[in-house]
Amino acid sequence: MATVTLQIDGRTVTVPKGTNLVDAGKQAGVFVPHFCYHPGLPVVGVCRICLLEIEGRPKLVAGCATPAEEGMKIITRSAKVKEARRAVMEFLLIHHPLDCPMCDKGGECTLQDYTVAMGPAASRFRFEKTTWPEEDVGGKLVLNKNRCILCLRCVNLCKDVAGVEEIAVLSRGEETYIGTIGDRKIENELAGNIADICPVGALTSKDFRFKSRPWELKNEPSICTLCAKGCNTVVGYHPRRREVLRITARENMDVNQWWICDRGRGQFRAIHAPDRLQGPSRRTEGKVQPVAWNAAIAAIAEALRGVLARGGPGAVGVIASAELTNEELYLTKTIFRDGLGIQNVDAPERSQSPVVYPKFTIEGDRNPNTRGARAIGVAPGTGGRTVRDMIQAASEGQVQALVFLRGGPLDTFGDPATVSRALDRAALVIVLDTHASPVAEKAHWVLAGATHVEKDGTYTNSAGRVQRVHRIFSISPESREDWRVIQDLGVALGVLPERAAEAEQVFARLAASTPAFSGMTYASVGDQGAPLTAASADVAVG
Amino acid sequence: MAGANGNVLTKIVHLPGSETIDVYRANGGYVALPEALKKSSDDLIDMVKRSGLRGRGGAGFPAGTKWGFVPKGTNKPVYLCVNADESEPGAFKDRLICAKDPHQLIEGTLISCFAIGSSRAYIYIRGEFAAEARILNAAIEEARRAGFIGKNILGSGWDCEVSVYRGAGAYICGEETGLIESIEGKRGQPRLKPPFPAVVGLFGCPTVVNNVETIACVPHIVTRGWEWFAGIGTERNTGPKLFGLSGHVNKPGVYEAPMGTNLRTLIEEFGGGVPGGRPVKAVIPGGASCPVLRGDEIDIPMDFDSLTRAGSLFGTGTPVIMDDTVCMVRAAWITARFFAHESCGQCTPCREGAGWLQRLLWRIETGEGEEKDIDTLLSVTDQIEGNTICALGDAAAWPARGFAKKFRDEFLQHIREKRCPFGGGSHS
Ligand SMILES: Cc1cc2nc3c(=O)[nH]c(=O)nc-3n(C[C@H](O)[C@H](O)[C@H](O)COP(=O)(O)O)c2cc1C
Ligand code: SF4
Ligand code: SF4
Ligand code: FES
Repeated sequence: MATVTLQIDGRTVTVPKGTNLVDAGKQAGVFVPHFCYHPGLPVVGVCRICLLEIEGRPKLVAGCATPAEEGMKIITRSAKVKEARRAVMEFLLIHHPLDCPMCDKGGECTLQDYTVAMGPAASRFRFEKTTWPEEDVGGKLVLNKNRCILCLRCVNLCKDVAGVEEIAVLSRGEETYIGTIGDRKIENELAGNIADICPVGALTSKDFRFKSRPWELKNEPSICTLCAKGCNTVVGYHPRRREVLRITARENMDVNQWWICDRGRGQFRAIHAPDRLQGPSRRTEGKVQPVAWNAAIAAIAEALRGVLARGGPGAVGVIASAELTNEELYLTKTIFRDGLGIQNVDAPERSQSPVVYPKFTIEGDRNPNTRGARAIGVAPGTGGRTVRDMIQAASEGQVQALVFLRGGPLDTFGDPATVSRALDRAALVIVLDTHASPVAEKAHWVLAGATHVEKDGTYTNSAGRVQRVHRIFSISPESREDWRVIQDLGVALGVLPERAAEAEQVFARLAASTPAFSGMTYASVGDQGAPLTAASADVAVG
Repeated sequence: MAGANGNVLTKIVHLPGSETIDVYRANGGYVALPEALKKSSDDLIDMVKRSGLRGRGGAGFPAGTKWGFVPKGTNKPVYLCVNADESEPGAFKDRLICAKDPHQLIEGTLISCFAIGSSRAYIYIRGEFAAEARILNAAIEEARRAGFIGKNILGSGWDCEVSVYRGAGAYICGEETGLIESIEGKRGQPRLKPPFPAVVGLFGCPTVVNNVETIACVPHIVTRGWEWFAGIGTERNTGPKLFGLSGHVNKPGVYEAPMGTNLRTLIEEFGGGVPGGRPVKAVIPGGASCPVLRGDEIDIPMDFDSLTRAGSLFGTGTPVIMDDTVCMVRAAWITARFFAHESCGQCTPCREGAGWLQRLLWRIETGEGEEKDIDTLLSVTDQIEGNTICALGDAAAWPARGFAKKFRDEFLQHIREKRCPFGGGSHS
């Protein structure tokens, strides 16, 4: 790659040709302020806060719009640059309402931060400020134009990334404003990103509105598990209230760049949904009763052993799920296929049409770990049945026990009538899941698992990238990390010699025994993920 | 062949039917085009370079040099945009050419296209110039019928299309990249430069943008030679120029005179002096963006370099003359109001600063100002100048600063007396 070497405030730095001076500054360790510039959006060069001096040039230049050139000498600390920044700050604030105490962005607002760092202490503007009423612009966003600095990021996100002109810059001069066109509203599913990148509190998330001050949140890295893309996210968790209040995008150039879709953003709601399963329960003669974990595991193991003794491994069907982590799928395969010799192991597909935007695709595969399930070999063994066959066989009485490692609507597993018959006819139905579902309703045993923010583990996205999730908190003391539940079953069934204390150890075993994961560790996966070791070797192992 | 009084650019404008191809041809029109088609592109560019022709749209950039920036051997189409947006208060010279001698502009357009390797020209005309757009369109049709526009022009094997594109009433669309965005059907707002239009312009292709008057000079350079053009005017400021006089002169209008003609001569001899023999208090020399000159500063050659040296600007060479009845604060406010209204609004300093200047000037004009408002005003102009994408920011800053500096006493008088000494202070 062609590079250029330049000096920024006396520091020498070599950057790829075409790098602008804001990014070059970053690489040299010199911060160049910027409002409108965003690496994922077209350069508009309008806010002018990034003005800096190039030795030998009379005029200041916009750093974001100026590519680094060989031998350039950039000065950001001169009085001239300081004055220009102070001036831009003063201009941006003349009509600003200064309502930080009641603004959702307060605490993570670029304008607020820069005002403290480089703004004037007082305004010389002694006129009435322009004011605008607040507006619902769709896209789960509220627009407060009083705070808008017209950086155009919102407009360009819609135009460039989502390919739609749903919000535009209107009018001109000091009457310029951001708005939707006519009665049209923002409808694209990437609009939530605007709340992440709006540098001020002008376009904020309706979901997060007045929920919490940003600094009260613990921000933990995670990923989204709503499709096979595996977008990187930040989970905003309120420790005192023990509640996830928002999910925002986390940069990962190999996966989602800077964006996530609004489904992923809304995933926090499911975590606290009222239909979350609270602990193990047993249904007998139509009555559901809570059971303690140890008793439940022991009773399920005994019931399964009974079916195995009477009907052999072919009488049990294990319907796993590509919603589970690699660790969970590895344990599933080790216990049921390798340990108990059950060949009826499979996971259902869950797909819909992909949503394709010019620079972002919401994938059609709704399972976050299809690739992991394949690489680990969660698939029917020799003579084993597929999900559909297991259901068919159960409805006909050949399969007597069904172990669902995720429930769901009936049609997830086949024709709903057949699934219903299978569930009615099977002697033993066990469901491990996070939420109530039609399948769980018909189960004899229901085990309460954990969502992806309540457990440690990894998922493998559609591109074969292994990515980490973390146990940030636990919604109820009675729900358990799924890998622990599966592991406990394995021990109770006598096929696992010992328990791993942490998911990391399970991953180590997975890596040691599965070629696609060989050599990988939690450390190597890090917070940006890592590709499968042998990406080509992750085809289903027969 | 010059007109009776030696005029070249305005030779036929007073003739009846001057806008028709017949009158144009009867007076030596469409002689330059066939001559130009015999020359090479390089020769034509060289000729224009040697003539010293500087852009008449305001910045005075050498036209031949600009043409030379079009990449040689590009495989993209090359465009010529003729800038007829003329919206700056005080300027009305291009309008005369469009209305009274459209064929001169069309012939210049065709030769310029040929020189830069273009086969497509747009004449971007200010939306309010509806009649002029009609006249231009009619002239284009005449030229097409005569074989000057279209395929295989005069058997040269070269094709060229010319069309008129009407603006929608925004001054900013006169800025060359705002103009390009507007032709592309987008919101009229200037682009970041570089890349310059000569490399990445209209539809992403190499594009030359030139003012109407610049283009109108081209046929004459071809027929009379660059030496003729270079021999008119002053050093580095060559050729004939259209001066548009307005304000307090007895005979406002467009006058053709050599570059470098003295401003006082223009006012007194061409404009017939100030009505009632009143003194000249101030002159905005070249359109509203140019800093004002005091009445005692008007013994000055009207050319790019002389006015820059005097701390003002030549702009479009269209002086607005103000006699001693004009309030300078009010004049400054009217100018500021125009630029604030016409800012496209994308750059922070221009959008916010121009509005602030307007407010400060209004407060002083209405007698509510304080002395520190003048300091704030000057500081705001410093904060805008040079810090924006296009020169409209500068155009808002320069006149405000000019008025406040040149007529500081009058500003202070408003503040001291808490009223406008000229009885102003209400909107009109
Ligand atoms: C705000 C603004 C408005 C302008 N308006 C005009 C105009 O109306 N006509 C024009 O010829 N040039 C105008 N210009 C100058 C053009 O950007 C450009 O420099 C010019 O058309 C080039 O032509 P020339 O080189 O032949 O002068 C304007 C510039 C600015 C910054
Ligand atoms: S709403 Fe936010 S992102 Fe959009 S222009 Fe205003 S400040 Fe920028
Ligand atoms: S300087 Fe003013 S008119 Fe020019 S681009 Fe910036 S905001 Fe628009
Ligand atoms: S960051 Fe460069 S102009 Fe906005």
